[in-house]
Amino acid sequence: MKNNILNIKNSIHSNRRWALIAAYSSLIIFVIFFLFPPYYMLITSLKTNKEIAEMASNPWIIEQGITLKHYVYLFTETPFLTFFKNTIIVTVCVVIITMVISVLAAYSLSRLKFWGSGVLATGIFLTYLVPETLLFIPLFKIVGWLGLLNSYWVLVLVYPTLSVPFCTWLMIGYFSSIPKEIDEAALIDGANHMQMLWKVFIPVAMPGLIAATIFAFTVSWAGFLYPLAFIYSESEMVLTVGTVTTLIKGDVFNWGSLMSGALLAAAPPVIIYAFLMDYYIAGLTSGATKG
Amino acid sequence: MKKNNLHRRKFIKGLSATSGYVIAAPYVKTSHSAGRLLLGLWDHWIPGANDVLENIIVAWGEKNGVEIKVDFITSIGNKLLLTAQAESRAKTGHDIFSQPTWYCSMFRHRLEPLDDVVEDIISKHGPLLDSAKFYAHLDGHWRGSPAPTGSFFDSMVSRFDLFKEHAGIDLQTLFPANENRDANLINNWNWDTFLLASEKLYKAGKPFGATIGATPDSRWLSALFTSYGAELVNKNGEITVDSDEVRQVLEYMSKLTEFMPKSIYAWDDSSNNRWIISGQGSAIFNPASAWAVAKRDNPEIANKLWHHDVPRGPKGRYRPDNSQFWGLWDFAENKSAAKDLLRYMAEPNVIDACIKASQGYDIPLIISHFNKNKTWEEASPPDGVLYNYPMKGDEIPVAVGYPAPPEIASQITTQYVIANLTARVTAKGHSFKKAISWAENELEGVMRR
Amino acid sequence: MKCSSLYLWLRQKPRIAFFMCLPLILMVVCLIIYPFIYSIFLSMLNKAETKFVGIGNYLFLFKRETFWLVVQQSIFFALVAVFFKALIGFIAAHSINAIPSKGQRKWRGMLLIPWVIPPALSTLGWWWLFEPTYSAINWFLVKISLPAIPWLSETFWARFSIILVNVWVGAPFFLIMYLAALKSIPADLYEAASIDGANYRQKLYYITLPMMKNIISITILFSIIVTFANFDIVRVLTRGGPIDTTHLFATYAFRVGIESGDIPLGAAVSLFMFPILGTLAFIILRSVRKRAMEV
Repeated sequence: MKNNILNIKNSIHSNRRWALIAAYSSLIIFVIFFLFPPYYMLITSLKTNKEIAEMASNPWIIEQGITLKHYVYLFTETPFLTFFKNTIIVTVCVVIITMVISVLAAYSLSRLKFWGSGVLATGIFLTYLVPETLLFIPLFKIVGWLGLLNSYWVLVLVYPTLSVPFCTWLMIGYFSSIPKEIDEAALIDGANHMQMLWKVFIPVAMPGLIAATIFAFTVSWAGFLYPLAFIYSESEMVLTVGTVTTLIKGDVFNWGSLMSGALLAAAPPVIIYAFLMDYYIAGLTSGATKG
Repeated sequence: MKKNNLHRRKFIKGLSATSGYVIAAPYVKTSHSAGRLLLGLWDHWIPGANDVLENIIVAWGEKNGVEIKVDFITSIGNKLLLTAQAESRAKTGHDIFSQPTWYCSMFRHRLEPLDDVVEDIISKHGPLLDSAKFYAHLDGHWRGSPAPTGSFFDSMVSRFDLFKEHAGIDLQTLFPANENRDANLINNWNWDTFLLASEKLYKAGKPFGATIGATPDSRWLSALFTSYGAELVNKNGEITVDSDEVRQVLEYMSKLTEFMPKSIYAWDDSSNNRWIISGQGSAIFNPASAWAVAKRDNPEIANKLWHHDVPRGPKGRYRPDNSQFWGLWDFAENKSAAKDLLRYMAEPNVIDACIKASQGYDIPLIISHFNKNKTWEEASPPDGVLYNYPMKGDEIPVAVGYPAPPEIASQITTQYVIANLTARVTAKGHSFKKAISWAENELEGVMRR
Repeated sequence: MKCSSLYLWLRQKPRIAFFMCLPLILMVVCLIIYPFIYSIFLSMLNKAETKFVGIGNYLFLFKRETFWLVVQQSIFFALVAVFFKALIGFIAAHSINAIPSKGQRKWRGMLLIPWVIPPALSTLGWWWLFEPTYSAINWFLVKISLPAIPWLSETFWARFSIILVNVWVGAPFFLIMYLAALKSIPADLYEAASIDGANYRQKLYYITLPMMKNIISITILFSIIVTFANFDIVRVLTRGGPIDTTHLFATYAFRVGIESGDIPLGAAVSLFMFPILGTLAFIILRSVRKRAMEV
């Protein structure tokens, strides 16, 4: 008997060791694959124009001296900071709007039935089937009629169409998995639906909320086609479109600045996610939800 | 709810209020008795060219009591096209809008006829290039007026040192930076002698490169086709791709591509610039931008570049055309002021200033203007590098798809039928018959109304 | 408590539900359904937009060789790319879950980066990595005596490149979703299984996969839909070339619609996949919701 238990313990232990080795090896491979392009972009952003254009130089390291010229150019000669500010405003607004719409809708679709709610819950997903490259044409008309053309507020209006469906679906999933006994307990205590939502559901489904926020943030931060179609003044542009249109002129690409712009554009989401993901994972492991 | 005819005023206000990118010069708002004009113009890639243009327009506006607002819209990511598509359908936006190459044809239903303007320009300044008429004179009316910037024509840009050393051709003597051209020598500069030169340059490791991909720079193929008399669709709208001339060109291309890098099928518009600036290439087709960037990034190479004529084919010497026009949307409010501005834009001093600001990149559509301007003579180093960039000899600029009717030619252009046809033979190794029957299928598709 | 009849009427469940859903419904109707119906209408006009031709545009597309090429390519692209994204995401999620929790954070952070850089910009970086003259990858290959690869100019490699970049951008999304799902599987289930003598593979089949079924199907469905509609990556890297061999629906629609001024035809191309994908989505989502409602 003792031998058996020892055997099992040993095999669990060696299993775990293999698992660790396998885990770390695959992680290292993935990290190399995922990170070599940003690494390359970083190196290029610190090289002089001359070195970038030179055929013989090693593209993976900096040989002729680091220069911050491209970053300086970005901040002083282009409206990069304006783009940054605009993008932040747009993204924050879009995230808030998305979360409000999705949470309310998800609560009602998962808990309160009304005619057509089943269809709506499934159907909102289909909104992703119509591509932006087609939608922008009728949207231009609507946006023009509202007088929002060439203003970044147009993005606050249209970006939620990209984030709300998925976030709603996500929240429906989380809300559905909250046991109905909690509802009944709260109702007995005299809570109305809004209170139940606010005091019970949201705290319990916090990981889902954070996931939805991350998604909405990413979609809004990275949007390209809609700002390309609706905005033409540089003072209203967002990061993605602004960087590309200011730094690529005709057939001339300012690679150094482009790469530095791309990296700076990626920095805020990375920082925010690093922060949020901890709460997200913490919320999950506290055992609040089941599959 | 805003009424349609009010919201444009409101968003103009919004634009003025929020747009801070307008150039500094403190223009005092004079009385705008003659109304407002909104211009959506192509964003010139040469630094400073936009400012010069905007100052000219605003100064005109001051003098004539018109309030001006200019937005420069880039063509990167097709932004200019997207905006034009959206504005023309939503019937709201700018008044005057840039119309490069085939836009006039694409938007002809929404563009105000400009016959009075263009005829005034022609009677005052002389004729326009023929290709301009091909692009902009549609259904009996002029739909576009010549733009002061943005028209260019791809010349050949070559390393004269490599041509001399490996191919035995002295480009600087052949196309000198002065009036003394030797007609015999130039007559000998045809596609056959070019093929021989390409072979030698390829063997020396410095080939000629030009794109055969789905990108606007592939218009050089069209000039080649036209110089052989090869027409995909003739001027009556009949599909004539199955012809001896087309086969002749495909034959020629099969040979030429053996001496070109294999990556040309994926080249985009800037690849050929990089190709020659890196020193790997000996010749490309391009406007003056390659040389301008070489000056910045690789002055050694810039010093050895020379712009010159395209080789001659059996049916003539043709150059790829990229003309630009300004159009007036028919939903614009201030048409009379717009037309006055369009006339003003054809004045010699305006054009001269624009050419100078573009450092010679732009070539005006009004023949008399580019014959008189000195910018190309003075560009250097090396001296005379741009002298032959504008058409000095017997080259005729030709639009892609010529001589098909404009609606069809525009489709041939935007769907890159010529490039795809050529690539099928030279890259995929299809037989002429197979490639031509593919082209016929494509062209049938293009014919639809 | 007020007892007016209006108040009571409003307090009924369906009414509250409806009002809570109202912002969503409004947004969907105004900004999605109306433009969508308009697009369908648009796809049924002739080129000059002067008369109604019903399904004429669609029939026209069926006769075009290039169109069928696009259909084939899109399906192949979507299936292959999603497969690899799901696989990499799954393995990465498992790997992260397997290492001690203190170290997990930095691996998570690093692996998230491709998804976080705006694709419009990261694709430019990739393009520069593939560029025929300056490719840094080719430089490396040549250094280790391998031939330079024509990443974008030969059909096979061009297709490889767009799938590669799409997988690079999308795999982190799968990673997050799967990791979240993995974390919510109670650890005692695994421990009980270990005591019962289950090995790694058995645990995977009998515990992990069933509990993650919903998340797996939803993420894959979502990714298929989004990958089909992919525009940015192909647009920047190959623009559909060489010789139309990397065209997807969105890029081909852009070429024949926007660039050639035939918006109705472009609309027809864009909407072509809708019925098929829509049905697929409906079926999968229905079964997912049924499972969720059973909790």
